[in-house]
This record gives sequence, structure tokens and C-alpha cells, in this order.
Amino acid sequence: MIRPAAGARFASGDAVRVLDTEKEGHHIRTPDYAKGKPGWIAQILGSFPNPESLAYGGDGLPEKPLYKVGFRQSDLWDSYEGSSEDILFIDIYEHWLESRKHGGEEK
Amino acid sequence: MKKAHDVGGRREDFGPIDRSDHEIEDWERLADAVNYVLNAKGHKTTDEMRRAIESLDEYKEMSYYERWAAAAELLVVEKGLLTKEEIDARAAELERRWGGA
Repeated sequence: MIRPAAGARFASGDAVRVLDTEKEGHHIRTPDYAKGKPGWIAQILGSFPNPESLAYGGDGLPEKPLYKVGFRQSDLWDSYEGSSEDILFIDIYEHWLESRKHGGEEK
Repeated sequence: MKKAHDVGGRREDFGPIDRSDHEIEDWERLADAVNYVLNAKGHKTTDEMRRAIESLDEYKEMSYYERWAAAAELLVVEKGLLTKEEIDARAAELERRWGGA
């Protein structure tokens, strides 16, 4: 079931990049191998309690918009040997994404 | 530093996956049951459990349910449900009763 995502910054099709930042603490849901990689918003999944807060006993509020983000496998792995059309989808929270429209250069 | 739950795709750091199976032991069923109840009673959440498991210093040396048991212990102490001393005393008592059997 799709939950409403009030105030979502991104829309389907937007070009995004995963922030390449280290974060203190455990249970970061953004995979390391996706950090700094370019992708696109495939779907807005809704807003959910922030797991980085829940993991430390917090209430997870404010809820964070969650997106299904598409990546070309060849963008994720330096020596990817599969088809250049192979795609991986990863669920990523909004605070881990930046727009590639301004500032972010194509990689 | 890469955490234990975030090593996806880093094949160079690991050997092949151990796919061997084993019989579930009684203590593993207990670890599963205790965790289920702690969650159901609202004492901890899945996210807290994953954080606690990932924080274990000896993660790589531990089995699946050893991680569960150790992480649950961390959390019940952190939340003040039990003290480490109470847990250690109970473990020693069980060791006396069942140990060496």
C-alpha cells in the first residue's frame, strides 16, 4: 500500500545522487556501495518513521519520504560485466538524496 | 568505517558463503522466543535490534543467534529492564544447573 508522502522534495523521474557522507552510528539503511552514485526517482513510496532515529529508541519523527531509486548497475560497480541495461532499485530516504539538476555534475 | 550490516558488494573482503546447515538448538529457540516477546511487548524494535547487533565487537566471530542473544542483552540493560549483574547471576545459575550435562 502506498502511503502519502506530504512535502516530498522529489518527483518520479527526477535525477538524483546519493549523498557521499559518513554517518556516525549504526543501522544506516543507505548502502555504502550506492553513496555518491547517480540514479533517478522511480517511485515515491510514502513517508515512514526515520529508522536512524528508531534504532536508538527515538520516535522516528518527523517521518521521512522514502523513494524507490533506480541505478544503472554499471554506475554502481566499476567492473560490472553484465548488460549496460541492468538496473538495481534501492529504497532510499529523502535525507540521503540530492538533486542532480543543480550543482551535481554527471558522473 | 564500514559496519557489519553494510558490506554488500565487497566480495574482496570475504571468502565463499558457508551454506552448511545445522540443527536448531534449544537455546536458539529460546533466543528467538525471548526476542519475539520483547518486541511484542514493546520493549524494543527491529531497528534497535539491528543497531545493537551491528554494534557487537565480536560480530564476525558470532553465530546468528549468538548475535541475537548478545544484542538483546545489550538492549534490556540499556533500557533498564535488567542489570548486567542480574543477567550474569542468572546465567551462572543456569550453568550450574545444566552445565556439563
